[in-house]
Amino acid sequence: MGWLSLLASLPSNEAVRTAVLVGGIAAATSSAVGVFAVIRGQSFAGHALADLAATGGSGAFLLGVNQFWGFVAVAVGAAGFMEAAGVERRRGRDVATGIVQGAGLGLAALFLYLAAQTTTRTGATFTVLFGSMFTIDPSGIPPLLGAGSVALSTILVLSRVLLLSALSPELATVRGVPVRAVSISYLIVLAMSVALSAVAIGAVLSTALLVGPAATALRVARGPIQAMAAAVAIAVGATWLGIVLAYVSYAWPPLGHGWPVSFFVVTLVVLPYALTHMFRRPRPRALSTAQSSASVPQP
Amino acid sequence: MDRAAAGPLACGRRMRMIISLDMFHFSSWRPRGPDRCRPCLKLATIVVTATLASGCSTGATPLTSEAPLIAVGAENEYANVIQQVGGPYVHVVAIMSNPNTDPHTFEASPTVAREVGNALLVVQNGLGYDTFMNRIEAAAPSSRRKVIDVRQLLGLPKTTANPHLWYKPGVMPAVAAAIARDLAILEPAHASAFDRNEHRFVVSLEPWDRAILTFRAHYAGVPMATTEPVADYLLQALGAKNLTPWSLQADIMNGIDPSPEDVATERNLLAEHRVKVLVYNQQVTDRLTQSFIQLAESHGVPVVGVYETMPTPGYDYQSWMMAEVQALQRAVESGISTMRL
Repeated sequence: MGWLSLLASLPSNEAVRTAVLVGGIAAATSSAVGVFAVIRGQSFAGHALADLAATGGSGAFLLGVNQFWGFVAVAVGAAGFMEAAGVERRRGRDVATGIVQGAGLGLAALFLYLAAQTTTRTGATFTVLFGSMFTIDPSGIPPLLGAGSVALSTILVLSRVLLLSALSPELATVRGVPVRAVSISYLIVLAMSVALSAVAIGAVLSTALLVGPAATALRVARGPIQAMAAAVAIAVGATWLGIVLAYVSYAWPPLGHGWPVSFFVVTLVVLPYALTHMFRRPRPRALSTAQSSASVPQP
Repeated sequence: MDRAAAGPLACGRRMRMIISLDMFHFSSWRPRGPDRCRPCLKLATIVVTATLASGCSTGATPLTSEAPLIAVGAENEYANVIQQVGGPYVHVVAIMSNPNTDPHTFEASPTVAREVGNALLVVQNGLGYDTFMNRIEAAAPSSRRKVIDVRQLLGLPKTTANPHLWYKPGVMPAVAAAIARDLAILEPAHASAFDRNEHRFVVSLEPWDRAILTFRAHYAGVPMATTEPVADYLLQALGAKNLTPWSLQADIMNGIDPSPEDVATERNLLAEHRVKVLVYNQQVTDRLTQSFIQLAESHGVPVVGVYETMPTPGYDYQSWMMAEVQALQRAVESGISTMRL
């Protein structure tokens, strides 16, 4: 089958339509939330949430329930724990997070092993860690769209106070912003977007949609709202183009199998980031200063 | 793990057997050389513990005064054939026997390593289906142990795509002959019994062969869809046309995501009634195979569940294969689904 005839059959493919919907909402939510993760210096926390989501996803696999609920339950629980334990605060944050993250992945290994040994369910490891966007059950779309809309609208409503409390917590407190409540809501939204991305491109790769488009957008955009718009555009564009490329990769070797869609999405997220580094120097501006002073560890 | 059952035995008889077995080992092993003593003692201990652990209701202890030879079938269908050929002279252990798990994702445990280490006869499929067996055998080498690799026995290339060889008519008779040959070398005293049993096994497969020929005569060329290649050799023998792309079957077997093109092809086969039956592998499932079953059911395409390993209890290799042909025949003839055997 040639490229063109493959492309012609793309719109009528049910798996592609589901992937476009779910991938689109996951990319939009993650990248919008990701702008604040990068500004607030929480991309490592986001990555830890993603690894812990793998624990929830594999547990859900073992129990035979929809993985999204496993991703959400554990990610939101872990976000609450992070807030309570003060993992958000700088000192010792990466150590505590790293230890919990390791323990979570260990549990995920146990759940995946048990699922393989005691059930007939196959492909768990691949689906949980690297995502299976083309095999999402269409009946599972509404909760994903619902969660995405809630997370997106929350982040839009909170964007001003989030920015303020990120750049100057003192000023935010003086202005009467409930910093703690904002922080908790933000972590829950972060957990939800991580869970959505985990469904789309897998728990381990979900950080790519969270951090990548946001980091690129913050290097080119003039303000936080523009940065959010640019991040959403990059993420959704990369996801949809990734879906198309994965679809036509059916005609590439190994013939008749197609390449994993997660690979294309992540590559297309990294490419523009690399391009911004190659073709322009970062300008000394308030936003990028906040970004660099947060000393973002890249996953 | 299963201990393949032999005929029932009276409790008193077995106790006497254990005593005589111990006397046998402690008094008359000298002539075979000191180097042989250690494994034999181990063997005796295992048989005694196995008998005590299993109580009086089950077990595979022979009616002879000798310790039964320990044999391992990597998959329980091979273990079943070893038991049928070896009869009471062989104590058979099956490694993969749980019909509620996916053998493709099986990982060996230390218990499995111990069972294989003690075995003098091993039957394994090969073709990457039970690679862990090679590692265990290498870890516990034995000069006496006979290993039958079914792929090698049949002279098939290593690149053979479909590993489910036991579904191919003619394979098990060849395996049974190899088992009888190796058992005769290991236990020459019972060679004639092994020969007889092998012959009986081959004859008992004739009804299955006839059922295949009958199906073929009536329904050659009947279109079918599959989720996984487990029964493909049987479908070929039946003359059925498997319209599912090989790449989809292979991807589901290997636990990776099939391409959306293949998924669409499979869905169209079912939704447009282009196949008479959906043959799905009971033991390799995911949300995609579930969605195929639902689609087939909502479009009135009968579904037949087939097995990777022999369903237990209640089946031997012959009756299992027969039941699957009958289920396929019912589906093609009267549109009746058979989800489980």
